[in-house]
Amino acid sequence: MNTSLHAIIQASRRPLIEWSLGPRIVLGVGLCLLLQGCPTPYELRHENQWDSREQIWLSDESQVRVRAAQSRIFDTADQHRMLATIVSTMQDLDFKVEVLDEELGIVSGKKYVENEQIYGVDLSYLLYQPDTLLVLNRSYRTWGPFHHRTNLVRFTATVRKRSDTQLIVRANAQFYLRAVEDPTPYQKFFRTLEQALFLQGKLVE
Amino acid sequence: MRLLKEYRIIVIAAICLVVGCTTPQPSQDLLAPTEAQMKIRSVQTRAFDVKDRQVGMRAVIAALQDLGFIIERANEHLGLVTAARFAEPNFYDVVGVTVTVRSETDGRMMIRANAIYNNKPIDDPKVYQNFFATLERSLFVTKH
Repeated sequence: MNTSLHAIIQASRRPLIEWSLGPRIVLGVGLCLLLQGCPTPYELRHENQWDSREQIWLSDESQVRVRAAQSRIFDTADQHRMLATIVSTMQDLDFKVEVLDEELGIVSGKKYVENEQIYGVDLSYLLYQPDTLLVLNRSYRTWGPFHHRTNLVRFTATVRKRSDTQLIVRANAQFYLRAVEDPTPYQKFFRTLEQALFLQGKLVE
Repeated sequence: MRLLKEYRIIVIAAICLVVGCTTPQPSQDLLAPTEAQMKIRSVQTRAFDVKDRQVGMRAVIAALQDLGFIIERANEHLGLVTAARFAEPNFYDVVGVTVTVRSETDGRMMIRANAIYNNKPIDDPKVYQNFFATLERSLFVTKH
């Protein structure tokens, strides 16, 4: 009994692969990855957000500060004109408008930025639309829409009444499946919107 | 000595992997208009002598259908139409288009089209000229 236990312990201590083979295997795997081109294994460098409790704490910045950067107050009560101007500003920014609800005051769109080389074109990725049942697809692809999202920018703007004479516009952008928390892109968006509206936006206090 | 050389290669490969695999950061100009877009804006926009926006919208939808697009969504009140189609000759690529129809104060209709080829915006004026030529034809058919 005692000897068999000893044998098991001995066996577990023995390395599975001889040491001289180790570096060669590592080298081979490393070279394979390099030959594939590093941007390819998207799944490896993008952690899956399995746990919703982690998502809640995903924001790195103070929510109040992010929210202030994303919001502007405009001295107009014309929600229709505001939505139309946001759509035309999004056209200026090369966005494809995807969701538009006047009652709720929501505009959403997406665009692709050139940030890295993508091998081939995955149509189901380009055609993926979260809000529609229309599937414009030549063949069924299982991995389809979720494969590479490194170049996708998603944008949502909401327009709601603040008072009888004021509207509040909040813009949200997402890049690489993460919320954009840097205030500069939002400042640039609102500058473009202000120019299109001929109105000066005010920061939310 | 040979072992040392192998280790050196492993270290270099590891560095390359680590450098290449970092999460890309959003650029500061993510939501800023580009110079090219400002230039192409006039090509994308055209005014038509139509008073009723619904007529304009119907003409836009008909023109897009003439060009083989599948209409994805149309919002009459805000004057927005989006459509997509597979591009010739292989039909492996996708063209997406967003068209807005806007009433001007002088009774004319401003129609603006934005087209995207796969993941890049189209900046060739000929593409837009072709669209507006089809739209004119479509308006003519709708009117008469």
